Amino acid sequence: MIVCVAVVGHQNNPLYIQSFTEADDALKLHHIVHCSLDVVDERVNNPKKSGPTLNETFLGLLYPTENYKVYGYLTNTKVKFILVTTDLDVRDADVRNFFRRFHAAYVDAVSNPFHVPGKKITSRTFAERVSTIVKSFGSSSAG
Amino acid sequence: MGREVSESCVDSLLTEMVSSYCDRFYANKPDLAARRIEAIGFQVGLQLSERYTMERPRFSDHLEAIKFICKDFWSELFKKQIDNLKTNHRGTFVLQDNRFRWLARMSVDPSPENGDLSQDNPPAENKAAQATSMHLYFPCGIIRGALSNLGIPCAVTADISNLPACSFVVRIKA
Amino acid sequence: MANFLAQFHTIKNSSDHLVIAVEDVSDLWPIVKSEFEGRLPFKRASLNNKTRNSVFVENLTAEFILTTDSRLRSRFPLEQSLFWFREPYATVVLVTCEDLDEFRTILKPRLKLIVQNDEREWFIVFVSKAHPNNDQATKLAKKVYAKLEVEFSSKKRERCCKLDIHSPEANFWEDLESKIMESIRNTLDRRVQFYEDEIRKLSEQRLMPVWNFCNFFILKESLAFMFEMAHLFEDALREYDELELCYLETVNMTGKLRDFGGLDRGDDQAALLNPGSKPLTQIVQDDSFREFEFRQYLFSCQSKLLFKLKRAFEVASRGYSFIISFSKALALRENILPFCMREVWVITACLALINATASQYKDGPPDIEKEFYRLQGDLYSLCRVKFMRLAYLVGFGTEIERSPVNSALLSMLPWPKPAVWPLVPPDASSEVLVKEKMILQETPRVKHLGIQRKPLPLEPSLLLREANRRRASLSAGNMVEMFEGRPIFNDGSGSDASTKISPSQKVRASSMSRTNSSPGSFESSIDRPMRLAEIYVAAEHALQRTISNTDLWKSFSSLEEYEKKYLELTKGAADNYHHSWWKRHGVVLDGEIAAVCFKHGNFDLAAKSYEKVCALYAGEGWQDLLAEVLPSLAECQKILNDQAGYLSSCVRLLSLDKGLFLTKEREAFQSEVLRLAHSEMKDPVPLDVSSLITFSGNPGPPLELCDGDPGTLSVTVWSGFPDDITLDSLSLTLMATYNGDEGVKALRCPAAIVLKPGRNIITLPLPPQKPGSYVLGVLTGQIGHLRFRSHSFSKGGPADSDDFMIYEKPTRPILKVFKPRALVDLTAAISSALLINEPQWVGIIVRPINYSLKGAILHVDTGPGLKIEESHVIEMQSYVDVSQSAADMAKSDAAQKEGSLAVDKNFEQLRLHDGRIEFPNWANNVTSILWIPIRAISDGLARGSSSVSPLRQSIVDGMRTIALKLVFGVSHNQIFERHCHFPSFFQTLAVHFTDPFQVSTRIADKCNDGTLLLQVILQSEVKATLTINDAWLDLQDGFVHTTKGDGRPTSGFFPLVISPHSRAAILFSICLEMSNAEDEAKALQPESILNINYGISGDRTTGAHPPVAVESPGPKGARQDLIFRSSLVLQRPVLDPCLAVGFLPLPSGGLRVGQLVSMEWRIERLKDFEENEISKHNNEVLYEVGANSDNWMLAGRKRGHVSLSTKQGSRIVISILCMPLVAGYVRPPQLGLPDVDETNISCNPAGPHLVCVLPPALSSSFCIPA
Repeated sequence: MIVCVAVVGHQNNPLYIQSFTEADDALKLHHIVHCSLDVVDERVNNPKKSGPTLNETFLGLLYPTENYKVYGYLTNTKVKFILVTTDLDVRDADVRNFFRRFHAAYVDAVSNPFHVPGKKITSRTFAERVSTIVKSFGSSSAG
Repeated sequence: MGREVSESCVDSLLTEMVSSYCDRFYANKPDLAARRIEAIGFQVGLQLSERYTMERPRFSDHLEAIKFICKDFWSELFKKQIDNLKTNHRGTFVLQDNRFRWLARMSVDPSPENGDLSQDNPPAENKAAQATSMHLYFPCGIIRGALSNLGIPCAVTADISNLPACSFVVRIKA
Repeated sequence: MANFLAQFHTIKNSSDHLVIAVEDVSDLWPIVKSEFEGRLPFKRASLNNKTRNSVFVENLTAEFILTTDSRLRSRFPLEQSLFWFREPYATVVLVTCEDLDEFRTILKPRLKLIVQNDEREWFIVFVSKAHPNNDQATKLAKKVYAKLEVEFSSKKRERCCKLDIHSPEANFWEDLESKIMESIRNTLDRRVQFYEDEIRKLSEQRLMPVWNFCNFFILKESLAFMFEMAHLFEDALREYDELELCYLETVNMTGKLRDFGGLDRGDDQAALLNPGSKPLTQIVQDDSFREFEFRQYLFSCQSKLLFKLKRAFEVASRGYSFIISFSKALALRENILPFCMREVWVITACLALINATASQYKDGPPDIEKEFYRLQGDLYSLCRVKFMRLAYLVGFGTEIERSPVNSALLSMLPWPKPAVWPLVPPDASSEVLVKEKMILQETPRVKHLGIQRKPLPLEPSLLLREANRRRASLSAGNMVEMFEGRPIFNDGSGSDASTKISPSQKVRASSMSRTNSSPGSFESSIDRPMRLAEIYVAAEHALQRTISNTDLWKSFSSLEEYEKKYLELTKGAADNYHHSWWKRHGVVLDGEIAAVCFKHGNFDLAAKSYEKVCALYAGEGWQDLLAEVLPSLAECQKILNDQAGYLSSCVRLLSLDKGLFLTKEREAFQSEVLRLAHSEMKDPVPLDVSSLITFSGNPGPPLELCDGDPGTLSVTVWSGFPDDITLDSLSLTLMATYNGDEGVKALRCPAAIVLKPGRNIITLPLPPQKPGSYVLGVLTGQIGHLRFRSHSFSKGGPADSDDFMIYEKPTRPILKVFKPRALVDLTAAISSALLINEPQWVGIIVRPINYSLKGAILHVDTGPGLKIEESHVIEMQSYVDVSQSAADMAKSDAAQKEGSLAVDKNFEQLRLHDGRIEFPNWANNVTSILWIPIRAISDGLARGSSSVSPLRQSIVDGMRTIALKLVFGVSHNQIFERHCHFPSFFQTLAVHFTDPFQVSTRIADKCNDGTLLLQVILQSEVKATLTINDAWLDLQDGFVHTTKGDGRPTSGFFPLVISPHSRAAILFSICLEMSNAEDEAKALQPESILNINYGISGDRTTGAHPPVAVESPGPKGARQDLIFRSSLVLQRPVLDPCLAVGFLPLPSGGLRVGQLVSMEWRIERLKDFEENEISKHNNEVLYEVGANSDNWMLAGRKRGHVSLSTKQGSRIVISILCMPLVAGYVRPPQLGLPDVDETNISCNPAGPHLVCVLPPALSSSFCIPA
């Protein structure tokens, strides 16, 4: 299941970070997300690395650790989406689908005229939408 | 999210915004009004670019981004593409729209036969031109917002020497 | 076939180079051996790789072995085919011969015999021993060699070469080498072909039960080994990769459970880099390869080749992923492996890999290099994590920094889940006690600045519970328990987030539970649960059993050792990350190092590292993480007595998100700041509190001031302090937006200020500023000795209307100072004339031009002939334009009537104090009118005019002036001037006064009874209605009223109303008074006086009006009567004419300038006067012609006597030449008779008053100046 999702702005500043664990290890997840930015940078700055998936928004698996899988997604506007999950077998399609919906939710949130670009996303609707997306993660690869 | 709004509504909203900023909030400070309108456009562009670049690979260079503005972005906004794109390959791009929708209903008579006539009544001509340019700060802001959100800081100006054709000049800040 | 394995490996280990067989036919080897071997290794050889492309290999090592050598003899054919790679790759046949016959008979057959075996690649070296001087021998040798070539060489292949011992040709050796190479190449190709065929055959049946991996392995590795011998490392590597692939896909395929391996002593030390760690025979039993050893073996072979290919980077990258995947494999077998085997193996593997690659790595291209360093970092940190975990298990957990990074890293890799937790060895009670002590001594790491935080979890869940539960469950053996305990199976992360179990995990769990029965016994496991200390001790013992590497074990022997190792690993990771893309990882690990430094009191270093970490988090706005590190930094700075740093850290702490700290914690920060601020700081540090105190102008339009006005500026200041804070001083700078030269002005707050948390409104006194518009600059202030400044405009405030455009927003001007301009306008209320000599209201309109007249004072100074009725109040009322004035007037009148002025605030009565009037407040901004009672004095009677001599009275004598000076402005600094550049302070208002009437008279008619009707015409001069109540005429002497009354006209006329600017007339009937001359002599009254008793009803807002009643005016009904007196001059008419003077008509041509004309008068004696003999010579008349000399030039005598007979009817004409000098209507010359009393002269016909003179004719030559 998904442990944490985050939106990181183009200056690598956290715009939205939500962990879904009962335990109070939110900080830990903050750290994981923050450090995963290193991998994103590497993927972007290092042409050799991003060979086939050149310029694709979906960055794939960032951290191949055994308990957590960290996936990344980089939009055209240099906004990063990070997904931390504990599932051991994750279908790539599911992750892509998740990111697509997550991205859509984000776009709707920032299109709110009262949202200040570059500031944290405080919209409650956004949070609710994200949690539903997270709940439905992996359940169906379509949608 | 398929909510839509009629074009005429958008058009009148635009004119209303321009008029209220030029004639009410910043009545005798056109430059301030211009800045404010441009700023609104900037944010709109920011958000639109956020939306319209979904589901597409990242742009590798400036030209791609500009092309995106000319093609998809413009057709999303105006249901047509930019008609002509010129560049000097040193960071300056000229996007020309032969019939810019937001100026289509502008009541400036662009017919050439009064082009010469326009010399002897410059004030009226100037006023009209100024009003028109006021309406152009918004699209300029939109373009600038979109590009800078795509990581291309730039300055955008508009040229309406031959209406209703309108060309936007994008200068990318090095 | 497996039984060949041992042999195969001995061979493989013994021989690592190509073999070249030497068939020494004629015992030449001893002679040439040295020279032959001198050629080795071959500098450059061209061979064909697996894909039959020729490649060049360097320093190809080979060995010449005589065919008689034991190593090349006695081989079973099977072995030969199997271990073909070790067979000679070329055969050199050494021959010599001096004799053709011998060659033909002996040598040739023998050679034929040798070379018949075409398995071998061979060629012949003919060695001629012939001495060059002995040309007989040389010739012979040549002959023999020729024969040899004929015999053995062929078109397509040259198999012979000739070596002269005494004088070898230069090119012989090249020839030899090329021949050897050719042979080797051919052999290699053939053998590769062979092996490939074999392998293909095998791999076709890979999926069949008959499949035997061992054969496949031997073939594969033989091929690989052959390539390796031939220095075709690429191909060798590829072989090994294929082998690994094949193994991985086949190893788990076959159903039967295999022995995994890894149970031997020393297996805990990774052998992934030394292939020879274990003989293959141990790995293999009945053709099943033990995964544990074999995979390591394969990797070691691969890495060996990679190193040979100088691809240390690839070793690292492959190695890292190998370790990851392999440790997964270990995890699957964890229940059968020794306790924590997996962790130990990973540690050793990482260290081995790090050392090997780091030493082997040569600088590559930058991006590769960066990545290489990243890999090193990864290896280090992986190793570090496992190390920490073990340390935790043996009870060093208290020493591990509970930082996000540790918590995250420890939870990202699964914790050990042994089937059975180790038990306390029976004799370990003393150690248990030690651990107990350690646990008891453990003090919860107290955060600095009294911050209470729940420490982040390092361990999955409580180790105690887990260890005991696992044992209990296993002893009970019930699956249910196992499953609800699953989270611990699943992942050690302690995030009990795994509620849904992926099927694979289920399987795993169950399989584990099944396999649990293999090792370990449960007898002792059903006893009281272990205490934590016991668990530590148990783990320690178990580990000691597991770890064979002594110096690794040393690291767990004591805290110091542990920390040494820990630091080493952490530093390694950090440094390598710093060289890679992964800066964040590096910096974060620096933070971990800092923690250790801190613990050891090395605060300098700690502070430096913490600085970096904080900078990283702050730079990217990760406040939650920053909040975790910043207190530590602050603590360092505090200890180092770095006050500036400490203060700024506290401020940063305060300016973090409110939610991150408790209020009392934030208050603690604030108190720290205050404590420092008020303590003695040796050098007062300036502190930037931009993040904490922000300011902005109040919303709304900017404060507008006029040039030179002081004011008070109120700004909003947001305080991020959790509690009230006292600022000893506060000042804000103003920056002029337009004129930069204006520079900045500082506004100081007079007194100390207490800032509440959140929004504060502060008002600052604002001295007069130059014109321009100003924005807020910098806020500076002082707390104790602490000078702080803030640059940031209010973002902490509520997002004001267009805050979303903050990045576009022009800084709003907060103050506007206007250029000098007219601030107020004073004008006279009315332009029309007022009554002279009467107290009248003079209205002054005071119109402030959007500027407040607060506390304004008006100085009034009346000019000459004007005085203010001090006795009466001055009235002030708000002024509305004329259209409503009447209504307004009525209102104020009404107000007056009720005497309730209080209700109507816009009417007020003021007093004049020595010429000064203070304005009421309500008049600050409204246009008001000021009514000043005033009287214009003029002595002297109004003069009436007659129709004969109309007198013009000039407007000037009715004009009076009032000088006004208005002092106002915030501090009475503004002085009203009409135009500001006007030099004088005063403004003078002109007020026009006049009499009510202008009087003129004429004789309307003359009755024959001598009664004259005198018409008095009254012209109203004022814009008011005049009512004449009464009028009478005091006649001068010589006139009397006909009616014996007081000379009043019929009172039926009165009251006579005269509307403004209209005229009225009154008739008086008078007649001449018959009186004798002597009482004429005493003439008292030269002129008669007209008295008019009138009333006026007018509006002061329009013009003349009833005079101001000095005492409070009575009821309106009682209109006060005014008297107007005017003097009139009446002329007596001619009564008994004795002379008649007639003006004779002028010539018809009219008069023209410069034309002489003769004026003529006729004098006729009407009657002679016998009774008076005064005149002795009364027969002549004195005449006089008077004329304005400007208009007329008279020619002839102006004055003279003409004789006129005294007889009645005698007449005479007096004519005089005169010339008009000016054109226009001029008064003609008059004839006067001085001697005769006017009363006796009748002018008949009367002369004209004026005559017309035409301009001169152009033709006229007159008056051309000579």
